[in-house]
Amino acid sequence: MRLNLAPVCRPQQWKRLLMGSGTARRSYALQSGSLNFEVFNRRAKWLQKERAAAHVREGRQADYLKDEVAMRVCERLLDVKREFPLVLDLGANTCNIARALLRPDPDPESEPPVTDPLATKITELVAAESSHSLLHRDADHPSLSTAHVPNFKLTRHVLEHDELLPFSPDTFDMVLSSMSMHWVNDLPGVLSQINSVLKPDCPFIGAMLGGDTLYELRTSLQLAEQERKGGISPHVSPLADVRDVGGLLQRTGFKMLTVDVEDIVVDYPDMFALMQDLQAMGEGNAVLGREMGPIGRDVLLAGDAIYRALHGNEDGSIPATFRIIHMIGWKESPNQAKPLRRGSGKASLKDLLEQ
Amino acid sequence: MQPPKATTSSTVRPIQRFASAVSKCSAESAAYGKCILADYNSVHKDLCANEFLRLKNCYLLAAKKV
Repeated sequence: MRLNLAPVCRPQQWKRLLMGSGTARRSYALQSGSLNFEVFNRRAKWLQKERAAAHVREGRQADYLKDEVAMRVCERLLDVKREFPLVLDLGANTCNIARALLRPDPDPESEPPVTDPLATKITELVAAESSHSLLHRDADHPSLSTAHVPNFKLTRHVLEHDELLPFSPDTFDMVLSSMSMHWVNDLPGVLSQINSVLKPDCPFIGAMLGGDTLYELRTSLQLAEQERKGGISPHVSPLADVRDVGGLLQRTGFKMLTVDVEDIVVDYPDMFALMQDLQAMGEGNAVLGREMGPIGRDVLLAGDAIYRALHGNEDGSIPATFRIIHMIGWKESPNQAKPLRRGSGKASLKDLLEQ
Repeated sequence: MQPPKATTSSTVRPIQRFASAVSKCSAESAAYGKCILADYNSVHKDLCANEFLRLKNCYLLAAKKV
């Protein structure tokens, strides 16, 4: 059975992957020094995803965040007037992107003749994800039915190693990624692989958690551990900042970049409800060097009290901030639009604004 | 290694029992939170030990009743 074959248990298979002919798997040295960026425990993350997939009902309930972000990512496709024969969804989770693409009438501002689902622009979507159970959780669910978009095909691909893309260079007409790149250890490596598998002048549109995501939970647990135990252990991942993402995209060869942030604030009855939902999403803590085992009762008790005192809403609920970093980058091509040389502008923006 | 098995949906998870017991101690919880908030830039071990003990006692009593 597939589940028993954890990717990390099979180094010999990796070797084959690494030695294979596909040059897409090579990660480029972008910085001098060590290439081993190890922040997250990939095996723990895989287990968390499998566990989340096993709890179907809770998982579907907790899909609100990933579905929302996937929808916001896909809305950006409304601005691209193109057809995409072959599209990759990297880190597909439960195919949230496919769900968003298949949604009828995706443009909320459109006039009554409804717009077609975004999936009509796409011929084949390859949903790639390291967790087999999570990827196939909604295989028979009506939200992923392609009956109303006959030309659209959804292919599921289980990744042996979630940071090595087993695709040849210049394959895809677009790469999408929603809510999974914040678990990537080697972000520069993955971004340059994405750049490599894209055809020239094709976009990468992605979104991931970053910056101040869950700062309320982070600070409350830190204060609680400090006061109860006299020391702290990481409970919330270190996350990329907006500035880092812009720089990374530029260094990995993307052109015409757009990076922006959006905060989604969700209110929960208490800290435990937030933590249960995070677990059901498969977004539990997987930082290397964290304290293993569950958080002690004393710290939980203290953490909830501090969360309320420090961040609580007036109605007794507690807010949790999810900061989404959206990024768009285009693979370089000789005949794509380029920014003009600096200082070559003739019209003054000042005059325009003063008119 | 097998991924963890799903628990049946009818069982109440320990965290839910814990949460409902904690929710009965809002006064003690607020007192502890206030104590931390008063000095959150220099929190050290047992800064609010008394308030915490009161909170914990309340929780233990509530947990017995649940």
